[in-house]
Amino acid sequence: MTGQVAPGPGVQATADELRRTVARLFGRSLHIRTLDTGSCAACEQEIRLLAAPHYDLHRLGFFFTPAPRHADLLMATGPMIRAFDNAARKTYQAMPGPKLVVATGACALGGVYQPDAFTHGGVGEVLPVDVWIPGCPPSPLALLQGLLVAVGRLAEKVRDLDFIQERE
Amino acid sequence: MPLWSLQGLRRGVVTTRYPARPDPAAAAPPTPPAFRPEALTRDLADRLVAVCPSWALTRSNDTLIFDVGACTACGRCRAEAPGAVTASGEFELATTDRAQLVKRIPLLGRNVTANYHGKSA
Repeated sequence: MTGQVAPGPGVQATADELRRTVARLFGRSLHIRTLDTGSCAACEQEIRLLAAPHYDLHRLGFFFTPAPRHADLLMATGPMIRAFDNAARKTYQAMPGPKLVVATGACALGGVYQPDAFTHGGVGEVLPVDVWIPGCPPSPLALLQGLLVAVGRLAEKVRDLDFIQERE
Repeated sequence: MPLWSLQGLRRGVVTTRYPARPDPAAAAPPTPPAFRPEALTRDLADRLVAVCPSWALTRSNDTLIFDVGACTACGRCRAEAPGAVTASGEFELATTDRAQLVKRIPLLGRNVTANYHGKSA
């Protein structure tokens, strides 16, 4: 479960098949468990706002659940502090498959905190991350886009951005 | 029955999925920076790397490597060099491939390119 495994031949086809299965299964109903691995709670604030009337996450078939055993998607925030290793692994193992992990916020993506004695400096060091959502904190609309990317209902956009400002 | 329920029944659409129109408020929160390569020199790039508090910027020769995933949109690089750095206005940044978030910005500023003797002009 730890570390990234380099894809061998045939893995891509399996991954594509799994992606289609996930889109079919989770397209209309997906239960989310949030996992705070040492965040400042700004990400949690924004996640909470997803359920508010303005964004109304439930109309899209996403629901928050308090139990990992009911969850299809793990929304992990924070830099993954080392004291939380066991809890993070247990949470992931308790989820029924197929399951998705979304790393949420700059800490979870490896910014802000470098790896040291107290933190891994990113969720990807411990859990197999499927979707990365940048932002500090990501706005509710950015989170919404990330969730829809996770279930294959929205195309990724950042691939085509170069963050170069054109000269006028 | 409320009007919107009737409309939903008639059109078969109760709500939109993702916002059907661009949301003007969405780009209002701080967004990661966009860079002007013509205004970036090696020295300026090193200054930007030094002010970045979240290890989002590194320099490799004549390239500024910008990790959008690590960026907190704090705006310190923008304050350091307002002429070379602006806000990108991009917030839909989710991806399934972490490497897609690492962007390479060429440094095209005047005193960048080394001459034939390997010295900076």
